[in-house]
Amino acid sequence: MSYTVTDWDLIQKYVFDDPATVQLIQDAIVASFEIAAIVVVIDIITGLPMAWILVRKQFRGKQFLDTLIDMPLAVPTAALGFSAAIFWAVSKPSAEAPWFAVGEISSPFILVLLLHVIFSYPYMVRSLAAILEQIDQTYETAGQTLGASKLTAARTITLPLFRAGLVTGIILAMARSLSETGGTMIALATMANSQGFQTGPSLIGTLKSGLALNPDLAAPLAFISILLIALSLVLLVALKLVVMKVRLPAGRVWPKWEKILSRGIAPKLKDGFSGAFLIIIVLIPSFFIFAYVFTATASQGDWQTFWESLANSFIIAGVVTLVDIFLGIPLALYIARNKKGRLPQFLDVMVNIPLIVPTAALGYSLGIFWGGAPFISAIPFLLVIFAHIAFTYPLVVRNVEGAVEEVDAAYEDTARTLGARRLQTFRKVLFPMIKASVLAGAIMAFTRSLGETGATIAVAGTSVNTAPVYIVELINGEQFYMAALTCIVLIVVSFAFMLALRLVTRKRRAG
Amino acid sequence: MPSITLNQVRKSYGDIKAADGLELEVLDGEYLCILGPTGSGKTTLLRLVCGLTLPDSGAVLLDGKDITRWEPEDRGAVMLSQTYSLFPHMTVAENVLFGPDLRGMPDADQKHLLADMLDIVRLSSRADALPKELSGGMMQRTALARALASGTEILLLDEPLRALDARLRINLRHELRSLAKTLGLTTVHVTHDQEEALVMADRIAVLRYGRIVQVGTPGEIFDNPNSPFVANFVGQSNFFTGKVEAKAGNTTVRLSDGRAVHARACQFPIGQEVVVGIKVGNTDISKEEAGPLKGRIERILFEGKFLFIDVQVPGVGLISSKVPSWRMGKLAVGDDVNVHWAWEKATVFPLPANGLAEELRVD
Repeated sequence: MSYTVTDWDLIQKYVFDDPATVQLIQDAIVASFEIAAIVVVIDIITGLPMAWILVRKQFRGKQFLDTLIDMPLAVPTAALGFSAAIFWAVSKPSAEAPWFAVGEISSPFILVLLLHVIFSYPYMVRSLAAILEQIDQTYETAGQTLGASKLTAARTITLPLFRAGLVTGIILAMARSLSETGGTMIALATMANSQGFQTGPSLIGTLKSGLALNPDLAAPLAFISILLIALSLVLLVALKLVVMKVRLPAGRVWPKWEKILSRGIAPKLKDGFSGAFLIIIVLIPSFFIFAYVFTATASQGDWQTFWESLANSFIIAGVVTLVDIFLGIPLALYIARNKKGRLPQFLDVMVNIPLIVPTAALGYSLGIFWGGAPFISAIPFLLVIFAHIAFTYPLVVRNVEGAVEEVDAAYEDTARTLGARRLQTFRKVLFPMIKASVLAGAIMAFTRSLGETGATIAVAGTSVNTAPVYIVELINGEQFYMAALTCIVLIVVSFAFMLALRLVTRKRRAG
Repeated sequence: MPSITLNQVRKSYGDIKAADGLELEVLDGEYLCILGPTGSGKTTLLRLVCGLTLPDSGAVLLDGKDITRWEPEDRGAVMLSQTYSLFPHMTVAENVLFGPDLRGMPDADQKHLLADMLDIVRLSSRADALPKELSGGMMQRTALARALASGTEILLLDEPLRALDARLRINLRHELRSLAKTLGLTTVHVTHDQEEALVMADRIAVLRYGRIVQVGTPGEIFDNPNSPFVANFVGQSNFFTGKVEAKAGNTTVRLSDGRAVHARACQFPIGQEVVVGIKVGNTDISKEEAGPLKGRIERILFEGKFLFIDVQVPGVGLISSKVPSWRMGKLAVGDDVNVHWAWEKATVFPLPANGLAEELRVD
């Protein structure tokens, strides 16, 4: 941020005085927001029936479906980008896409759109399902006994209660789409002809990569970062206001039509459509990469760098997670147990900001901020860790905060009157109750750090070689086979963590 | 031995005064019930005693020692919340031994203590059960055992019987009281259930708007309420407003419509505006006996042992009466009846400054 203040002249010189740059930035940002908006709409339309199925229906294999929804979360976006591009797009001949891939999409805009739907979809479904679970079904039952058809009852009674979940879902999905860097860059690089198409974050990534050669790029970089951060914040506030204020058209009913739609084939069609969407649009492209490895020609790569990048990724993710836990729990406790105070409410909002700001912009901003510090700026590795903490910290805080809020404060009060000191109370009473959520937050932070591309590149260029950064480089160098292998290793590791997460959270529900 | 004293204790949350100059002494070994409507500051009073809430001003004393700023864990006053707060991840045994374990009691001693405690609350066979496997009554007893095992001499009970079935609640009243009395604990029991307070307490403190309105034995509170509010909150009352007309052994009050009613002696001067209160259970209706007021039965509610009867008295309004059920066949809606009471049962209060209706509000 400080950059704008000091070097506004440079921005003036390199950005505004250069129509080509202005055009480039404008196009990228417009594309970013267009994609995010369309993605959110698609997510809502397809995610709502899916959330309904997950929460309200009982059937065999529900657990399985539940796991399927989360699968794309386990795939780092860098791997996702490659996988989806190979599946959908007209790719470069050297990529050797298998004959059974779709391989039809030639518009980079649509490809990026499809990609963003994949990884934002689970967030939307999860947010909607979470709120749906809290809405008492007796309201709907009451509506039905009063003569409303199933659809009418759901639409007029439950949907209006949905706003909170919808806001969360929209914000998460939109932030995810606005923020995504690695997957987008990779998908574009895999395409045969990406027509110079860029989103905001991918442009940051590209500019930063070129910064070493051309220092003039610093100005446009700073400008686009600031623009992205500011616009996302404005959008966030606007969304919160609009969604909470706008009245859903719940007042009117069309009993005849809604009755027809509530019975017979219509609901089955709806469920079938949701399922088909999940499989064709979300799941197959996510895991297409596994099919790819079998058909593509094996090639020898630089295994040394490969292992190094993996090691780097794990060290960074590990350190980041530890820091998140130790600094996150106290803050979460403070916010959750003082919900009414002004400062905790303010902190609650502040903590979530890094979740919404595009990570690439965040990374660049942090890079400049810490760049002034003599010790830290000398070690890019440390910079990357700081950047990753910035966007993973909220995940831990939110998880722990949510869990603490659910624990009745009377437990801690009682423990105190029974003679336990504050720390003992936390250790013996509260912590065992929120352990699962702490772990869940930690695993989320870990996988998120493991899969992050944008922030890493933005803060340190390619000087810190993490696995996702390595994948980007491989793809840019058209070493597609090697990239696919790296992706798979990342997917397998992330997936193992994901399974661990599910095991942990299930235990929590049972326990 | 612990006695608890509250000295001009004040605590506000914004504009709400949860404790507005609380002044109370709980004697050593006493079973004291705090009775008050919802929002009167009952829970705040308990939290002030055990230190979970710090007062804005005033002092909390334990055996005469000022403990106002002590941490909760140093006070040795255990609070039992409405839902018992048994730690869900610990078994009954682990819950009970929570306090002793904190103090580092040797394992062998812990074993003995556990056996003793479970014996007292009759849960020896459920030592390894988790809280969620227990019934409401068992949970309550476990929480009690946990409190006792911590070595406390002060028990703070926040609506301890609220979450239980009606029948069990009545059984446990006796059990809870006798346990506390046997062990010589100083107990403060918060409730909004007047019957519970009357049955269980050595003394009752009636709380309203963060102030203690009256303290006394159940008999005193019931028979000699010091305000229309207490008269109505503890056993419903009928009220009449009028002016003191004559004082001779008892008091004659002339109502606004000209009729006279009689009540106990009072110290108010002749001509002062007063309120006469009579418990509904002491208000009788009959067709034969004469009475100061006449009315027509408007509604009869059958309550099992009693009939709750509303009588419309022209010029006065609805008067309620509680009569034994055996009179069921003799009274019917629409009957003209006389309303009467023994004057010894009627109390005279000064007319409340902000009106009778405001005085009687319970929300």
